[in-house]
Amino acid sequence: MRIAVLSFAHVHAPTYMELLRDREDVELLTADPDAPPDDPDRGAALAGRLGVPYSADWDEVFAQRPDAVVVTSENSRHRHLVERAAAVGAHVLCEKPLATTETDARAMIDACARAGVSLMTAYPVRFGSAFAALHRAVEEGSLGSLVSVHGSNNGWNPSSSRSWFGNRELAGGGAVMDHTVHIADLMDVLLGGEQAVEVYAQANDRLRDAEAGDAEAGDAEAGVETAGLVTVRYPGGVVAGIDCSWSHPKDHPTWGGLALTCVAERGIVEFDAFPRLLGGFDSTTARSRWEPGGDDLDGAMLEEFLDAVRTGRRPQPDGEAGLRSLRIVLAAYESLRTGQPVPLPEPQDTGGVARLDE
Amino acid sequence: MAQLDVALIGAGGIARTHLPAWTALGARVRVYAPDGQAPALAREFGQSAAGSREEAIEGADVVDVCTPTDTHHEITLAAVAAGAHVLCEKPLSLHTADAEEMAAAADAAGVRLYPGHVVRWFPAYARLHALVTGGGLGRIAVARFTRTGRYPTWSGWFADHARSGGILVDQMIHDMDIARWLFGEVVRVHAQQSGHLTAPAPDGAVATGTVVLTHATGVITQIVGVWAPPATPFRTTFHIAGSGGTLQHDSLASPGLRIVGTAGAGPAEGIPAGDFGESPYVAQIREFADAFTGGAEPRVSAADGVAAVRIAEAAAVSTRTGRAVDLVTSLEGTSA
Repeated sequence: MRIAVLSFAHVHAPTYMELLRDREDVELLTADPDAPPDDPDRGAALAGRLGVPYSADWDEVFAQRPDAVVVTSENSRHRHLVERAAAVGAHVLCEKPLATTETDARAMIDACARAGVSLMTAYPVRFGSAFAALHRAVEEGSLGSLVSVHGSNNGWNPSSSRSWFGNRELAGGGAVMDHTVHIADLMDVLLGGEQAVEVYAQANDRLRDAEAGDAEAGDAEAGVETAGLVTVRYPGGVVAGIDCSWSHPKDHPTWGGLALTCVAERGIVEFDAFPRLLGGFDSTTARSRWEPGGDDLDGAMLEEFLDAVRTGRRPQPDGEAGLRSLRIVLAAYESLRTGQPVPLPEPQDTGGVARLDE
Repeated sequence: MAQLDVALIGAGGIARTHLPAWTALGARVRVYAPDGQAPALAREFGQSAAGSREEAIEGADVVDVCTPTDTHHEITLAAVAAGAHVLCEKPLSLHTADAEEMAAAADAAGVRLYPGHVVRWFPAYARLHALVTGGGLGRIAVARFTRTGRYPTWSGWFADHARSGGILVDQMIHDMDIARWLFGEVVRVHAQQSGHLTAPAPDGAVATGTVVLTHATGVITQIVGVWAPPATPFRTTFHIAGSGGTLQHDSLASPGLRIVGTAGAGPAEGIPAGDFGESPYVAQIREFADAFTGGAEPRVSAADGVAAVRIAEAAAVSTRTGRAVDLVTSLEGTSA
């Protein structure tokens, strides 16, 4: 299979490139023409360092007729690449959030449906084996009904390594846009794709001063939120409380983590997507040791995508799943504007659009 | 400290934590409870029982109100009218106006009223407060608190929202008080609750609350309360993030002593006992007793108790209306 990684803007791009490079069944193509010319972590410099082929512009990479693409551009720049990929008949794995507006997300879903190609949203956390066991326990009913869920997805502020994460236009927002969607997607799995009915959010940028470099200080007005709390209500009465903050100290040995506690009628389940395998203390760095455990989530997610490309089946999470979690985030931003809970509108009828699996 | 004559009103779960504390401090206690449980409880700790509430309160230096929440207002006013200082179990009341009236009455009578926000004396929370106020976490942005204990089905009134306010008011007011103690006045409250929210609550009932507080400073706090299935051990956690790093706590993570196996089996505790060392209930009552006998003001005031009720009542309103509730904060009278 010929797979093209399009843009290295997202911090996940190098991980995908390495995983795809090391697979026997993949011929990797890459392109990052929008990269700042001097950035050593972008463009030809990164491709060279990783030892992967590199195309200088979009036309060149699409001319090589990839079977599928991985879109890792800035959040608001997904749409044009997804539409181009669909136009050449390539299946798409799109980095989360799927888009920064519902219009863009809908256009991407429709473009892929019309072209008869898959659109998958890159939510790796649902691919962990511990999460699968949680999902099974909820589905089999051994826990009883879910009552409420609370979870945190905290991490380093990604704008310190990729400044566009701090740009509202390119990123669509800050921590609320970046992190709410992961737990929203896990809820999507646990509740079988039930669309949330109401969202409340509060946020602040009190961590930004400490994180932002001096060069960005002048952009204070354009800054994004760095801490957020989001409360989501689902039709059956289940409530999810989410801490999506970029509150993980930048000098901590890990990037952050994701944990979820599910309160059900017959038990409480704690899920940690990135459990600590080993702890201790490192005298040479004078800080805690933190050897991460858990599964290779990105690898499992890519396996799902590549298997779908190979077989033509529809991968999950698909574009609709990406749109459902995006709608929660967009409602969260509306709530930040109004200071009040925001009801989600009924999902639009998609009956007029041919589905891949129809 | 002068020996105090204490009237303990109520003989339920929280009275059982207060009575040994008063006894340890050398107080003379007479216990009254309308349910007939007072004599047995008093006997257990070598104290006496009173035949009526009036008899208990008459001549007492301190009245300790350990009754269901909907009776706090009336009993506190009676105690104040009799010239006694009052320790009133949290919440002071279900309604802000009633709590304000209690505080004003105590003030007018020249007696002290302290709410039993005992979590301020649990070592992890006391240390958290010291670290936050000492600036060790830098500029604080976001905090999470959880509190999980088995559904209090041992006494029917807890499940009755008209009497206890339900999980939001009865249980989650602890962390509302802590959040305000740490991060200052609260200007907006949003709450959701789910699960079994009506009385009677059968064994095995589960209820949860999810509250988001916005503080005047901009700090945001998430509070999750769980009334859990019967075998669930009592557990509290917090996670605080600021520009100076994070601080976290899990009451089950690093116990000073852990017993498992048949010898350690038994029903889960509904009321946390604290870890080793001095019981937080004794520490709390020692501080109050000191203030009642002319010593320094304790770490919690009547105004703090009123403010906690205001937040909890706003949370209850939020679940009824589906709206976030904006609070107008008054900076007057926040310190005794």
